[in-house]
Amino acid sequence: MSIFEYNGSAVVAMVGKNCFAIASDRRLGVNLQTIATDFQRIYKIHDKLYIGLSGLATDAQTLYQRLVFRHKLYQLREERDMRPETFASLVSAILYEKRFGPYFCQPVIAGLGDDNKPFICTMDCIGAKELAKDFVVSGTASESLYGACESMFKPDLEPDELFEVVSQALLASVDRDCLSGWGGHVLIVTPTEVLERTLKGRMD
Amino acid sequence: MKLDTSGLEAPAPILGGIDDLSVDFAAAQSFDLPGCADFDGFQKDAVQMVKPAKGTTTLAFIFKEGVIVAADSRASMGGYISSQSVKKIIEINPYMLGTMAGGAADCQFWHRNLGIKCRLHELANKRRISVTGASKLLANILYSYRGMGLSVGTMIAGWDEKGPGLYYVDSEGGRLKGTRFSVGSGSPYAYGVLDNGYRYDLSIEEAAELGRRAIYHATFRDGASGGVASVYFVGPNGWKKMSGDDVGELHYKYYPVTTTPVEQEMAEVPAA
Amino acid sequence: MECVFGLVGDGFALIVADTSAVNSILVHKSNEDKVMVLDSHKLLGASGEGGDRVQFTEYIQKNVHLYQFRNGIPLTTAAAANFTRGELATALRKNPYFVNILLAGYDKDIGPSLYFIDYIATLHKIDKGAFGYGSYFCLSMMDRHYHQGMTVEEAVDLADKCIMEIRSRLVVAPPNFVIKIVDKDGAREYAWRESIKDAGVAATA
Repeated sequence: MSIFEYNGSAVVAMVGKNCFAIASDRRLGVNLQTIATDFQRIYKIHDKLYIGLSGLATDAQTLYQRLVFRHKLYQLREERDMRPETFASLVSAILYEKRFGPYFCQPVIAGLGDDNKPFICTMDCIGAKELAKDFVVSGTASESLYGACESMFKPDLEPDELFEVVSQALLASVDRDCLSGWGGHVLIVTPTEVLERTLKGRMD
Repeated sequence: MKLDTSGLEAPAPILGGIDDLSVDFAAAQSFDLPGCADFDGFQKDAVQMVKPAKGTTTLAFIFKEGVIVAADSRASMGGYISSQSVKKIIEINPYMLGTMAGGAADCQFWHRNLGIKCRLHELANKRRISVTGASKLLANILYSYRGMGLSVGTMIAGWDEKGPGLYYVDSEGGRLKGTRFSVGSGSPYAYGVLDNGYRYDLSIEEAAELGRRAIYHATFRDGASGGVASVYFVGPNGWKKMSGDDVGELHYKYYPVTTTPVEQEMAEVPAA
Repeated sequence: MECVFGLVGDGFALIVADTSAVNSILVHKSNEDKVMVLDSHKLLGASGEGGDRVQFTEYIQKNVHLYQFRNGIPLTTAAAANFTRGELATALRKNPYFVNILLAGYDKDIGPSLYFIDYIATLHKIDKGAFGYGSYFCLSMMDRHYHQGMTVEEAVDLADKCIMEIRSRLVVAPPNFVIKIVDKDGAREYAWRESIKDAGVAATA
């Protein structure tokens, strides 16, 4: 079993009309054994910027701590929050730093940029950026997520519709994956507010 | 190499040439053996390729009223869930059940084959085969294929003239008589619940609930088990399906959602 | 094989560990205490390779003490858990320690807590958890019988159930276990569950 599948994960981000959604599952496992069902994979960088880290949980935690550290330094120096594009470059650089001993994580970055334009992107574990206009996925359920998102996604969804679509896509996908699921965690970010919900899901 | 291909022999000649198809059908007497030097290795590799049902939780136990047999219903290939509605409890005849863990095809085929043999025994001897006998038939067949890559972990449970019977049979040739077994990747989890809740004098309802509960807890902790928790009961009058609960719903029945607890912030250290 | 498990109850947390020191097929000792009292209100249950386990847990213990001496206040359980994770994570890409850790603690205004830290430094706060082969039996047992706000008696009873299950179902089950508890009055040994006396003692006797 690949090291990316050691803990199991599913992360998805989607773009709506002046908003975005980022969602993940809640399982922390060790191969097939479920350790906890309240694990966080989506981390907040600032009010309008989030990162979801799929893959090896320990590296997700290490990476998150390093990213927060770098972002705080940036805030002190620049007296402003980082733009999502800039942050994506930072993540990419930090990942490539470890080119020959990578963090076994696949990040999903989602944020609102200047004039609240949604930005989403994903990367491989050594920092190759992959930008998208509609949705990005990662984790052990990524194949199922591609299918679900591909068929359910529509452009310019309102926040409440986007919540429905992203939740359905996530739940449908993790139900076809042994290593992710056990509930979901969804964030809908609009220029004015952040809607955070935990999803009830199958617990098997 | 001599193979026991008796299992593949048509039980009775098909009467009359109904159509062209039946000719080949009846003629098929054995497996084609692959023409290669490393026969065992080839078989193992081939089986690895076509083995879908790996992770499983099945269990069975004898108690005062009879036997409870329970199983989940998930089939997985690696991390992918290929089905959530597999029938892992196989009805061999009205008085006997088999469970399925390991290779799905191996289990299905040899249980079907066992069903045929049991029926033939019944016709020849005018009485039903004992659970002991049936499990021995299966164990002997599996033993003759030992080392060729069959993957079967099964329990044969039923009711015969001596009362309830339960045997564990596997493709390594093992056969164990017992009162309580669990097989599959989720079996340790199931044992945890089963051992603790088990008493010989359980009522049928209590026993069914124990089986269901053990399967549920196994599906919760084991990624490769899930789907539906089916529970069968075998008593003096044959088997009866007690329940088939979607564990997705069962979880919320056992643990209704209360007010969502506040997510614990680990990173932040509260001021002392 | 090694078994460490723990749970959080009403106003206390409990850690149970087997007490066998094993090397390949040989049992060196069956009364090796694997649950360290980290400081007055913290317990650290560890399983893993003998050398790594002792080295790492002592290193953590000394550093937690150092912090207390320097600053006059103890680390909170969360802080100690994050420190432990940090050290484990740093070591992970240099020369990893093969230790799995359950860290239980009691903080005055937070109450009891239990943290799961595995050898690759995954940190998570849990109510109940287990490591090793025993985890397969314990986890479902604890899922079945655990509830919020267990009393010490209920929790020890559950721990005993788990120990019994491990002893009866695990092939290479360790004979002896130690149960330790941490609550507002501090961390302490609660009981031993011994089915054999130490092999060395038995041989000389």
